[in-house]
Amino acid sequence: MTLEFQSKTKELKKGLFTLFPGLCKGCGLCVEKCPKHCIAWSDILGVYGTPSVEANDECIACGICQNVCPDCAILVRKKTGKVGPN
Amino acid sequence: MEAVRTEMPAPAMPRSWRVDTKPHKFCPGCGHGLVLKCLGQAIDELNIQGRVVFGCDIGCSLLSWDFFNIDTIQTHHGRTTPVMVGLKRARPELVTIAYMGDGGGYAIGAQHLVNAASRGENITVVLANNTQYAMTGGQMAPTTLPGQKTETTPYGREPETTGYPFMGPEMVAAITREGAYVARGSVANLRQLKSYIKKALENQIAGRGFSFVEALSGCPTNWRTNAAETWDFIEEEMPNYFKVGEIKASAAAKKGEEDG
Repeated sequence: MTLEFQSKTKELKKGLFTLFPGLCKGCGLCVEKCPKHCIAWSDILGVYGTPSVEANDECIACGICQNVCPDCAILVRKKTGKVGPN
Repeated sequence: MEAVRTEMPAPAMPRSWRVDTKPHKFCPGCGHGLVLKCLGQAIDELNIQGRVVFGCDIGCSLLSWDFFNIDTIQTHHGRTTPVMVGLKRARPELVTIAYMGDGGGYAIGAQHLVNAASRGENITVVLANNTQYAMTGGQMAPTTLPGQKTETTPYGREPETTGYPFMGPEMVAAITREGAYVARGSVANLRQLKSYIKKALENQIAGRGFSFVEALSGCPTNWRTNAAETWDFIEEEMPNYFKVGEIKASAAAKKGEEDG
């Protein structure tokens, strides 16, 4: 059985920042690990009713937030069309 | 809702994860999710999903019982190690992974770990170390750092009365034979942790002996830390006592590292 998670994609200058609110538990590990400090809390609520996250245009699409998310709730794609690291 | 559905990207989960059980049962910010992500990626890269048996232990690690699309067994109190040893002896073609926390592996199940390691059983053990018993509310465990506050050490752990933290990989490295693979990774460096887990699995597939990887992991719920303090504890406090790196790697495993 494959389950589809609803996604919220935000188009930024250098990449596409996709968040899956049904997976985000609002732990904030990505907020702290972002090298550009461009991830902030969002109005969209995550799976436990806590705020999820969103990135702003400072994002360089490095994919660190995608890697450190324990729930795989973030997908970062560079604008070249390639999927971010891992 | 149609506007959202026009583009439907999938979450970047490892292939071996069982998608219909996600979001997983671990707390927000739990290190288990990161360790199991590395394990899943290692299984994907080695393409062994069809012949892996995953055993999880008691404690928070048992919440991974439906984590993978892989045959899974849950046992109690460190007995994951002997169950995996039995499986490996009966079906040597399988790749058996015992997954446990520091409570199951170092405290109540230490005898199983010690005996399996000293016999040189050909299995892989992955152990997540979060410095306390997380599922029961954060009591002091063998791995609690000196001065660290837990439920049962409200003034901080005093080594004079409660002893010093348990150095798991160092102990396993001391009692295993040549050919064993022992390393300590950290969720602060996921690429390194994944390479350690991958080498541990390759060591088992090559039949060289006991493979053990400890992962320094986080527990924001019981540490009562926010995200910044969690990273600070994992990156600064824990490696001061628990040194990250490969503690024992056979010549063959080192050669594999040079090759690729």
